[in-house]
Amino acid sequence: MKKAFYISLVGLVFVFGFTTIQTADNCDKKALTTSCKKKLDPYKYDSQKFTKINFTKKAQQLEVEVPVFIGEKYRLVFNTSGMPKGIKINVYTKDKAAKKREAIFSNKDAKADETQLIFDVPRARKMFVDYDVPADSTSAKLTGCMVFMVGYK
Amino acid sequence: MLLKKKSLVVKGALFIAASLFMVACGSDTATEETVIPPTEDSVSVEVETEEVTYSLPSPLQIASIFKKSGLKYKTGVTSDLKDPAKYTSNLTKAINLGVYSADLSYTVLNKQNQEAMTYMKLSRQLADNLGMGTVFDQGNLSKRFEKNLSNEDSLAYIIAELQMVTDMYLDENDQQQITSIVFSGAWIESMYIGSKVYVKGKDKELNSKLAEQMTILGSIINALKAEEKKDPAISGLIADLVVIKDIYDALPSVKNNPEGEEDTEKELTLTDDEVSQLTTKIEALRVKFING
Repeated sequence: MKKAFYISLVGLVFVFGFTTIQTADNCDKKALTTSCKKKLDPYKYDSQKFTKINFTKKAQQLEVEVPVFIGEKYRLVFNTSGMPKGIKINVYTKDKAAKKREAIFSNKDAKADETQLIFDVPRARKMFVDYDVPADSTSAKLTGCMVFMVGYK
Repeated sequence: MLLKKKSLVVKGALFIAASLFMVACGSDTATEETVIPPTEDSVSVEVETEEVTYSLPSPLQIASIFKKSGLKYKTGVTSDLKDPAKYTSNLTKAINLGVYSADLSYTVLNKQNQEAMTYMKLSRQLADNLGMGTVFDQGNLSKRFEKNLSNEDSLAYIIAELQMVTDMYLDENDQQQITSIVFSGAWIESMYIGSKVYVKGKDKELNSKLAEQMTILGSIINALKAEEKKDPAISGLIADLVVIKDIYDALPSVKNNPEGEEDTEKELTLTDDEVSQLTTKIEALRVKFING
């Protein structure tokens, strides 16, 4: 009788352990920050933004507003290595509510194994970093972590 | 006996199934998402959008922008209250860490090295009181700051590095609200310093930079609102900042020059009376911050 209970208990531990591993967000923030910083030079560190992404059955659009100032030169470094699969990254000068906007940066031409992307920002008053997260119809409950670092000089 | 054994196995299996169900439900409710109803122009794929989040600049960048615009050093304009133990709530500690950060940046960029050292030590004490003093020990930041006191460029890079490890620490510990509160304190202190120096010299470029800084106040308020659930005390800070934003939005120079969508280099200039209106409110809020 006890044996049967222990078998159930071991099963439970296995299931919980498996679930935890499966939903881990691959977000080693220190490692991501360190690798971004290397690509930021010669710009001076200003800020960074981590975004936890949960893939769902519906596509998602997440937006981060980044204030910028006249006359300053900026660099953005994106790191996608914390993502379990690809997402679209676009940078705009208008927010997602704008009727018409054009991306000033996109990762559409980046190679599949290119996990760090550098964007030296042209003149702008505001920036909006958009992550277009595709739908995930599997039951994998994928999660990931996106980060970008802002530098100025 | 056999029946009891089977019953136990069945109970175990049910327990596992129930646990699995709870885990699955828990993951689904982890984020709050709003579904945008499809419009006539939208594509057929349904897209969920979360609220916009914000990435605020560092106090050092604000000080650097003011410095480039010709902001001179003025003795006695930085915070003179040097008693971090006075602040007891996390909100007042974080706000005044921001005030000290702005003073630290201002003094470093103006080569006031001994003053800078004082603000570095005060920042460390407040960070200790917030339970995050260890960030000052990462990469020997405190010691390197002391050793490089005569080198302004090195000090600026050390402050930038301190900002980076602080941001990372707060992110890792899910305390992003502290980042927004600290920046609010730093922003008010930077605006206070800028406006005090402006009154003396009436420099046009500094005037434009003060007006430009006002344009990010909306982002600061929204960033704080996004973190309001983590610390209800943030509500009072938001209300104080909204008062200043309302004054700015109502200024004739602002109303007559709405933010251009295409003209990215157009700079706004405020009248002296308008600067004075803003300065009065900023100064009052700064006094409230420093008094805790």
